[in-house]
Amino acid sequence: MHRKPFLALGAFALVVFLHTSPAVALDGEAENFVRVMGKKVFASLGEKGISDRERTKRFTVLLPEALDLEYIARFTLGRYWRVATEDQKIEYTRLFKKFVIQAYANRFKGLSGKTFNVLHSRSIAANQVLVLSEIIIPNQPVVRVNWRVRSKENTHKITDIMVEGISMSVTQRDEFVSVIRQTGGKVSGLIRALRKKTSGN
Amino acid sequence: MSVRGKFKNWAYSTFLSLACAGILLSGCATAPPPEDKEATAAFKEANDPYEPFNRAMWEFNLGLDKVILRPVTSVYLAIVPDPMQNSVHNFLQNLRGPVIFVNDLFQGDLDRAETTLLRFTMNSTIGVLGIFDVASELGYEGHDEDFGQTLAKGGVEPGPYLVLPIFGPSNPRDGVGLVADMLIDPFTWLTPLEFRIGRAMATAVDKRARNFDQINDMEKNSLDFYSAVRSLYRQKRRDEINNGAPMENNSVPGSLSVLPEDKPEDQQSEAAPIGQ
Repeated sequence: MHRKPFLALGAFALVVFLHTSPAVALDGEAENFVRVMGKKVFASLGEKGISDRERTKRFTVLLPEALDLEYIARFTLGRYWRVATEDQKIEYTRLFKKFVIQAYANRFKGLSGKTFNVLHSRSIAANQVLVLSEIIIPNQPVVRVNWRVRSKENTHKITDIMVEGISMSVTQRDEFVSVIRQTGGKVSGLIRALRKKTSGN
Repeated sequence: MSVRGKFKNWAYSTFLSLACAGILLSGCATAPPPEDKEATAAFKEANDPYEPFNRAMWEFNLGLDKVILRPVTSVYLAIVPDPMQNSVHNFLQNLRGPVIFVNDLFQGDLDRAETTLLRFTMNSTIGVLGIFDVASELGYEGHDEDFGQTLAKGGVEPGPYLVLPIFGPSNPRDGVGLVADMLIDPFTWLTPLEFRIGRAMATAVDKRARNFDQINDMEKNSLDFYSAVRSLYRQKRRDEINNGAPMENNSVPGSLSVLPEDKPEDQQSEAAPIGQ
């Protein structure tokens, strides 16, 4: 007689567990991914005494491991992704990756002496988690950094980095869309500008 | 008194004539034809109908930066030791205390108002006129507020993007806020003109110095510096208005949402285990 409510409770618990555990696990996994990646970035790119060239080399290796570059490339083209031709998409994505390496590699200078702490995380979409973190710099206000992590088939990739509320992806998209608008609404205009910008490499 | 009046007149008429000249010369940005959906949506999102005028102002400000602010800041960074730079920053930030306090109150945030009051009292006294930020060390971290944010909390829309001469990126709401803050500020009324000019110049140099590398880096690495800063300003203000609380997903237009193409694919991959 006593077992029935117990069973019901057990079944209920099981249902709740089955429903919630993937999301909870995803939170934890995404959080851990950011923690591990952050440690790696600080150790590798923040190493004292390495040349800019070496830093760029290391950044080029770390980048595709940490960031979902295809996803970000698509996002940063905004609504123009839909009107771009297949060839344009391929060329744009290639140039975008090159552009990111050139523009961001040396922003990781001077990481030594700074502390990176992952704070917590929460689910924001079916397969996306927002991970909140902070970077502590001696004698300066704490810098808030939030990470959008997208999980797919047990792999995690970052799709956006928000520093003090400013999203890298959104800023890049707004800029790219503006370039397209100024060149008469042509994706080819942006591709030309990107090619010119990255031609030094 | 007459000097002050003359300066005000000069500043006012210069501002007006620059604004008029800018608008007459450049006019409004032409909206794309409504049948071009992509361009129309992009035009609306940018929220910048006065773009030609704004770009002209932006170039004017960049010119001023190149000729005056950047060289002065470089020298400041080179010759003033770091601890002294921090002291300058603390001193200037402490002067903002009353304005922050009043805006905390306007926004009904009594906790933050209390913090601001405590900070101002402690730093002005023990902190030697604000040179040392002792309050932060005692756990009373500072924050910023302004009347533009207060208006936003009261539901006032920002209006179109506007680049003001000298003051830079803004919008009608934040422009009104800027003037209101000047009027609220007791130091506007209690200090001589020389002090106020010095304070304004020091604030500009301090701000430029604290963002020196980031600004250079951005200018170098952007395809269109103007539109990158326009986006940055919009996002920064939104973050400040929300006091740094991370946004809920998709709650704000322009935030990074799930890409439409992404959805079916992901739903499939998540649905797979259930089917097995």
